[in-house]
Amino acid sequence: MSDPNQVMNRRSRFIEAASRGKILANKCVKCSHSTLETAYFCEKCSSDLSTTEEYDGLGKVVTFTIQSVAPEGFTDAGLYAWVVFRVDGAPFKVSGFLKDIHAPSDLPIGSKVQVTGFDEKHGLLLKRV
Amino acid sequence: MPCMRNKVCVLGAGSTKYGKLNESVVELALDASKEAINSAGIAPKEIESGYISNVFGVSDKQVHMAPVIMSNLGIPYTPGLTIESACGSGSIMLREAYANVAAGFYDCVLAVGVEKITQVGTVQSTTLFSYCSDFFYEGGNGASFPGLFASIARAYLTRYKATEEDLAYVAVKNHENGILNPKAHVRKKITIEDVMQSPVVASPLKLYDCCPFSDGASALILCSEEFAKKKGKSYVEIIGSGRGASPAAVQSREDITTIPSTVNAARQAYEMAKITPRDVDFAEVHDCFTIAEVIDTEDLGFFKKGEAAEAIRSGATKRKGEIPINPSGGLKSKGHPIGATGVGQVVEVFEQFTGKAGDRTIHEAEIAVTHNFGATGASAAVHVFKKIK
Repeated sequence: MSDPNQVMNRRSRFIEAASRGKILANKCVKCSHSTLETAYFCEKCSSDLSTTEEYDGLGKVVTFTIQSVAPEGFTDAGLYAWVVFRVDGAPFKVSGFLKDIHAPSDLPIGSKVQVTGFDEKHGLLLKRV
Repeated sequence: MPCMRNKVCVLGAGSTKYGKLNESVVELALDASKEAINSAGIAPKEIESGYISNVFGVSDKQVHMAPVIMSNLGIPYTPGLTIESACGSGSIMLREAYANVAAGFYDCVLAVGVEKITQVGTVQSTTLFSYCSDFFYEGGNGASFPGLFASIARAYLTRYKATEEDLAYVAVKNHENGILNPKAHVRKKITIEDVMQSPVVASPLKLYDCCPFSDGASALILCSEEFAKKKGKSYVEIIGSGRGASPAAVQSREDITTIPSTVNAARQAYEMAKITPRDVDFAEVHDCFTIAEVIDTEDLGFFKKGEAAEAIRSGATKRKGEIPINPSGGLKSKGHPIGATGVGQVVEVFEQFTGKAGDRTIHEAEIAVTHNFGATGASAAVHVFKKIK
C-alpha cells in the first residue's frame, strides 16, 4: 500500500533541496530520463524506479511575467517576476519567484537565475546572477 | 475512434445574461435551465439525467449542486452530477453528457454550466482562480492566471513575428461582436489605443487583454436524433467530440507556444466529424486572454503556427472574414463565468444555426466548432456541430 504522506514527503524533499539552492530530481533506472522529484512515475516509460539526483539551482530564463496585480499573499511583495527557467544540465524547466524586477528590460530572455531558497510565503526564491 | 450508438443533438438552449449578477448560483442555473427546457419544447420530466459544471460553488455556499437543481426543476428523483475542470468545466461536462446519450444510456439530458464569483471581489477571485493552476509551481510562486498567460504571451512574442498590438486586435474584434450580443458582460466598443493604454496587469498583458470575472449560467437539452425528430423543432447535431490533456504546469511543456490538449482534442473531433479545419464556417474559442485566441486558432488548424497574429490583424477572424472567431463576443466581451463558458459557446452555435443570432448571424454557416479549456490548457474539449436544415 502506498504511503498516504508521500505527496507531502516528496514536496518536502524538493523544498529541503531548494532551501539549499538545489533542484531535486529523479533519474529513471530503466530509461535514464530525469523528472522533478514531485513526479511519481517516469513520464517516458512509466517506471517508478529511480535514483535521486541533485542539480545546482542555476538556469536560463525561458519566459516570465511581471505581476502588476498580485494574488493574495504576494500583494506586499512589490513588483516581482514569476519566472520559468531551464535548469542547467537538466531536461526540464522549473518556475519561481524573483523579486525587484520592475520592467521587462530588467530580465532579458536567456538571463541567468539561481535558486536561493524556498519559503512558505513566496515559494521557490530566485535571484539574478 | 469510439463507436457511438446514437447521433446526439442539441434540441434547446438557454442562457442568463453574463456579468455581475445578483441571483444565487442555484437561481442562475435554474433560470438558464428553464429557458433551455422551454426552448426544446419538452417537460422537465422528460429529462433522464442532469449534468452540471461549476467550479466555485463553495464561494456561494452551495456544493453538491446537481440534486438541488434537479429538485427545483421538479424532478428530484432524476439523477445528476457535478463536474469541475476549471475554466473548461462546461465543455468537459458537455462531453460526458454527449457520451451518455451517444452510448444509449439516456435519450434526453440537461447540461447546465454555472458560476457565481463576483461577490468575493477581484483579489479573492484572482486567488481562487490561481488554485486552478499547478499551485505548487505556479500560484504558490506568485503567478496569477493573467501572469501565466502573460508568460505564454512573452514566449510567443519572442519566438514569432508578432506584437502586443497584434494581440489588441483580438480584443477590439471580440468587443465589436459582443456589442451585438444582448447577454454579453462587456458591451463596449474599444480601440487599439484603448487596449494599448490600459493598465498592465501582468506584462505583457494589459487590462483589455483580459476577460472579466463574470457570473452567469448557460444550459442545453441534449437528446438522441430519434427524440429530436419526434419533437419536430429545429435542432443542431453534434458530429464530433474530442478531449485532450497537457502537462498541468506551464514549465512542463516542451513548447510553451502551443497547447497540446487543444491540438489533440481538435484532431479527434475533426476525425469523428470527417472534416478538416477548412470546412469550419465559424468557431467559438477560448479567449480568456488575447494571446489564447491567437494560439487557439493555430492549434485548431485555422492558421499555420506563428501566422495567426497577422491573420487576425488583417481581419480574417471578423464576422465577415474567412474564418469568423467568437461571433458571440467570446470570453473577452461576452464574459467568462467559468463553469458556464463551454456551454455558453454551444448556446451561441444553437442560436446561429436556428435563426436566433440576430445581427451577429454568420450567414450560410453550416459547420461550427467550439473549443474550451481548463487552466492554461491542462484540459480541453473540442466539439463540432452541424446545422440541420
